[in-house]
Amino acid sequence: MKLLNKKTVVALAASLAAAAALADINVGVTLSATGPAASLGIPEKNTIALMPQKIGNEKVNYIVLDDASDTTTAVSNTRKLITEQKVDVIIGSTVTPNSLAMIDVVSEAKTPMISMAASARIVEPVDDKKRWVFKTPQNDIMMATAIADHMAANGVKTVGFVGFADAYGEGWFQEFTKAAQAKGLTIAANERYNRTDTSVTSQALKLMSVKPDVVLVAGSGTPAALPQKTLKERGYAGKFYQTHGVANNDFLRVGGKDVEGTLLPAGPVLVASQLPDGHPVKKSALAYIEKYEAANGKGSVSTFGAHAWDAGLLFERAAGEALKKAKPGTPEFRTALRDALEQVKDLPGAHGVFTMSPTDHLGLDQRGRVMVTIDSGAWKLMP
Amino acid sequence: MNRRHVVIAAIVALAAAWPFLGEFSVTLLCYIGLYSMVAAGLVMLTGVAGMTSFGQAAFVGLGAYATAWASTSALLSSSLGLAAGSALLPWAGLALGLAITGAVAWGLGAVTLRLSGHYLPLATIAWGLSLYYLFGNLDFLGGHTGLGGIPALTVFGVSLASTRSLGLAIWAVLLLALWALHNLLDSREGRAIRALKSGRVMAESMGVNTAGQRVKVFVLAALLAALSGWLYAHMQRFVNPTPFNLNLGIEYLFMAVIGGSGHLWGAVLGATVITLMKQYLQDWLPTLLGASGSFETIVFGLLMLIVLQRFADGLWPAIARAANRWLKPVPPPRLPPPVALPTTAAAPAGQVVLEARAVTKRFGGLVANNAVDLDVKAGEIHALIGPNGAGKSTFFNMISGVDDPTEGRVHLLGRDMGGRPSRAFAALGLGRTFQHVRLLGTRSVLDNVALGAHRRGRRGWLAAMLRLDRAEEAALLAEARRQIERCGLGAQAAALDLAPRLAGRDAAARPRRGGRAARRGAAPDRALRPGRPGRHAGCIAAARAAAHRGDRTRARRTPVPAAARRAGRGPAASREARAGTAALAIAQRGLGHPRRRARHGVRHEPRRPHHGARLRHRHRPRHAARSAGRPESAGGLPRR
Amino acid sequence: MDFQIALLLAQDGVVNGAVYALLALALVLVFSVTRVIFVPQGEFVAFGALSMAAIAGGRTPGTLWLLLVLAALAIVVEAWRARRGLAVDWRSTLVWAVAFPALAALLALVVKPTAQWAQALATLVLITPLGPLLYRIAFRPLADATVLSLLIVAVAMHGVLVGLGLYFFGAEGSRTASFSDSRLDVSGIVVTGQSLVVVGTTLVLSALLFAFFERTIVGKALRATAINRVGARLMGIPTALAGDLSFALAAMIGAVSGLLIAPITTVYYDTGFLMGLKGFVAAIIGGLASYPIAMAGAVLVGLLESFSAFWASALKEVIVFTLIIPVLLWRSLKSRHVEEDE
Repeated sequence: MKLLNKKTVVALAASLAAAAALADINVGVTLSATGPAASLGIPEKNTIALMPQKIGNEKVNYIVLDDASDTTTAVSNTRKLITEQKVDVIIGSTVTPNSLAMIDVVSEAKTPMISMAASARIVEPVDDKKRWVFKTPQNDIMMATAIADHMAANGVKTVGFVGFADAYGEGWFQEFTKAAQAKGLTIAANERYNRTDTSVTSQALKLMSVKPDVVLVAGSGTPAALPQKTLKERGYAGKFYQTHGVANNDFLRVGGKDVEGTLLPAGPVLVASQLPDGHPVKKSALAYIEKYEAANGKGSVSTFGAHAWDAGLLFERAAGEALKKAKPGTPEFRTALRDALEQVKDLPGAHGVFTMSPTDHLGLDQRGRVMVTIDSGAWKLMP
Repeated sequence: MNRRHVVIAAIVALAAAWPFLGEFSVTLLCYIGLYSMVAAGLVMLTGVAGMTSFGQAAFVGLGAYATAWASTSALLSSSLGLAAGSALLPWAGLALGLAITGAVAWGLGAVTLRLSGHYLPLATIAWGLSLYYLFGNLDFLGGHTGLGGIPALTVFGVSLASTRSLGLAIWAVLLLALWALHNLLDSREGRAIRALKSGRVMAESMGVNTAGQRVKVFVLAALLAALSGWLYAHMQRFVNPTPFNLNLGIEYLFMAVIGGSGHLWGAVLGATVITLMKQYLQDWLPTLLGASGSFETIVFGLLMLIVLQRFADGLWPAIARAANRWLKPVPPPRLPPPVALPTTAAAPAGQVVLEARAVTKRFGGLVANNAVDLDVKAGEIHALIGPNGAGKSTFFNMISGVDDPTEGRVHLLGRDMGGRPSRAFAALGLGRTFQHVRLLGTRSVLDNVALGAHRRGRRGWLAAMLRLDRAEEAALLAEARRQIERCGLGAQAAALDLAPRLAGRDAAARPRRGGRAARRGAAPDRALRPGRPGRHAGCIAAARAAAHRGDRTRARRTPVPAAARRAGRGPAASREARAGTAALAIAQRGLGHPRRRARHGVRHEPRRPHHGARLRHRHRPRHAARSAGRPESAGGLPRR
Repeated sequence: MDFQIALLLAQDGVVNGAVYALLALALVLVFSVTRVIFVPQGEFVAFGALSMAAIAGGRTPGTLWLLLVLAALAIVVEAWRARRGLAVDWRSTLVWAVAFPALAALLALVVKPTAQWAQALATLVLITPLGPLLYRIAFRPLADATVLSLLIVAVAMHGVLVGLGLYFFGAEGSRTASFSDSRLDVSGIVVTGQSLVVVGTTLVLSALLFAFFERTIVGKALRATAINRVGARLMGIPTALAGDLSFALAAMIGAVSGLLIAPITTVYYDTGFLMGLKGFVAAIIGGLASYPIAMAGAVLVGLLESFSAFWASALKEVIVFTLIIPVLLWRSLKSRHVEEDE
């Protein structure tokens, strides 16, 4: 029985390898379309379907695998994509732990990787392994400083923190602590809750007992509305800050009246139509929104999908350069691709303008971030 | 060509093909190996010993995190005096992981394995989740984000960084573990472990320390999981809490059940099936159903449902049955010459061996036994007779240690046995059979009887795993065979052996003289159905009890006393009449026919030791009225 | 923590505990009659809540299609059994596989109710037949299997239903409008009308179930099947009916729970699992046999949760699940377990 299965797998591998070696560009994607990060992964998956099918004269194949928000599956997918499908680049994964786990695999296989996950740890500091790794989402520290700046500018002294009991909440707490310290803010409470919790009354009561000036909710997607609604229900009168993880319209739907006046940093794509006309990101962001909503319905755009879109743009630019140097499917192509990625300059994406360098594999600057507020049930850009 | 040859051929083929396999196939085989290790532990725990556990993933996590911390911690390397990237650190991690897991498992087991029935699986879920959330909250373990930079293993200077080389190590460890577990199950301790599932009362009266065995099996499964975790950490080189969540714990149990929870190879099969199925679904579903949805989980669940409906016992028994049609049966193992087993010296005839004084048992307001006195002397047969509900089983439970009297004392061989468990009685040479004969239905007659001789062996777990117990095993099996002959079952034992059903000898296994139970129990996938043992079961049980004591008389054919024959039970009691037995045999059987029963409660009388004696009815009521129609149960406990 | 906060926490714990109690009731009911540890009970809750949200939002809930597919499958299964010569109860098949699905389709596709109570009713009609249909398709063929096998089948089914939930409802959650917007002020503590509805419904439902089991003949028949299957069959109680009925009750209780929690929290396609787990904890505290103790256990779990979340919210799960173990120990030692022969 075991022999039979091994032979079948080997045959499968051989046939797939043969098919892939026909000088097409193969892009391997591993993302979390199921599991706790599904609300991030599904828009990303939808975006991959919109990516260019041809670069130059070469056909591009996208092989999308789901890793169910699990690190073991993410690593296994990456190995499969590299060894079976012979991909030239890996796009993934959606969440930080998965991306961190994939670093070893891609660096050993010398295949470039563009991650769609939040933590700066994925690309910093650039060393032998991480030189193969790039990412598109803004670093948490960038967003955290935006929040801390805004808080300080508005006379806030104490902050109550309530976040997810997972890598996202943990990472945000660490980054925000740094940003808060730099601005002289005190974090008065540090509460956590699970994404699937049905009630956060206890955490809300604890927060209220320390009477912070403002509350920062570090969650992603609609579950981030729960603490806000509960606090409002309990009579909390201070302001709320959210993170860029809630930047989709479902949050507005679930939050309803209770999220009016919330402040959050976000990628420009969220309020693309409100950007001033000369804004370098406006055109590229609107292009993405148009494409995504044409395929998935009006109002369905999500900033997470936009991270995948940016990854696609980076890849397209770099592949165009790399094709001049080597043929797809060869190690030289992959090295050329990595070099080209590192040399991308002034590429306008949905979330900002990317300028990579040997020490900065994210490439976003202040143009990749805006402060947004929720006004009358819609996102409103703040000047 | 028998089954063993096929297994060896498969292993050799795998080893030979290893350098030529595709890279991803090797990766898959690594994962299969890791999961099989955990699943094998679960087979021992759940399939063999009957304790369902959902928490194995947490133990994998303990092993993985221990080595992750040990390999990356500056604190540890400096305190051990090693360089930061030393090749010895992963091995320190292994030692640390096994030690911590063993300690935690021992502690958790001591507490939660007391839980009976459905409380145990829930407790495993509870601490499985606790450990998972604990991992995520400890900063020095990387919290939820995880710990990276774990180095690869180095064995004698050879780096196992590539999956190909590490995979060899994984499979070597797995096969070694399977071999050790197989040896363990095939030994005296293995029989004791198998007895844990279907009834601890019987095992305890044979001298098995069931509570201790349960904890040991639990710790064994935990150590296997920790070993798997260690290898996983050094393969992936990054650990975070998500692979140790309850979902994975459930999946391991899945693998064990789908593969066949009672069979070690079922673990490997289950791990293989599930891992490969997930890969195939991932590859082929998008082309079949379109890439828009995530149908893998749905289709996977549906396939599992279909498999479970068709093969409720798992896939391995079905495959083994099919394969055994054209495979020869495995020849019985060749054992070295047996060593002598310890026997207890016989007490001189006439000495009081068992003494009960004013034994009273109350269940709430109900008095089951009221100040019963009993003296049994060596060499005599005592019969305790009475109608249903008289309190016979309750009394038996008290003089054999299954239960404790509310008042009164029991002395065995002069020692006060108040509050001692039935193991202690068994250690002094007391053997007992039960009214509901507690046979292990999936094991052969020889195995059932050999369980009786458990106390007379000494070799423990380690000796069993390393095959150092073969001489003693030969002695135990020889003793069991002798007892089967004594009971007159020698010729029929092979025919009664329904367990070889799995080995394909279906035709031979059907008993020629179909006992009604054998026919009823001859459903396609079942062996002896417990609770319906047929008329030979009594013999088997008595043989088991006799093996426990080492009775030594020659087997003689004697006609069965009329009463006993009409009751349909075995003739063992009358044989014991002639045995100058060292200690006491308590043979318990219902007499069945109402007219044979005495009318006034329990009485005891010395029975004249020759066959054909009729029971005399002495009208000496010595026992309180029994409750109306209380159903008899060997445990003597009031039904809820 | 002052007294007021303690009261608030207790209130929160009791409300959550009430929902867990409903889940525990359903689990004990299903287990005692069919020996199935029904892990997917939480999915009924999620489906109920999300279907209600869909109907309230004017969309057709995906669970309707699931219901119709299962109904067709059930009819096929029964027809096949009839061909094989087994006894088939066509009347109950008609009820569960034809009448209910037709009614549900009618309500969801044609009538499209707008009143909240009508939408709730439509949801109940939609979710309740899922129980007996799943029983007939997946569990009834395995009626004689071991408890472990049935548990694994239940786990597999849970995986399928979660996957279907993601497919039908997407990854983002939904809330519904509350049944009662009132807020009472009891000595300084705000008690929302919705929480009163939750606790009240739990009590009423438990009382109804109690009356059902104690006073009606069908309820007594169910209890008889739970105590002794063979004996019940000898008395003429069709055990298949018992299975159908217990699963239908479980599904209905699940749907009601979903309707109750949807206004107070956002429900996701995977909310059911953790809720089902806590209901399971409560059911086990009741020994999978006693309803009152299971309900008490549920309230205990709810209170433990809310208090430990206050003290150390990051370690909430650790505390709750660690503290469960002594409770289990206590319960296990109290009840002398009759050894279940395999």
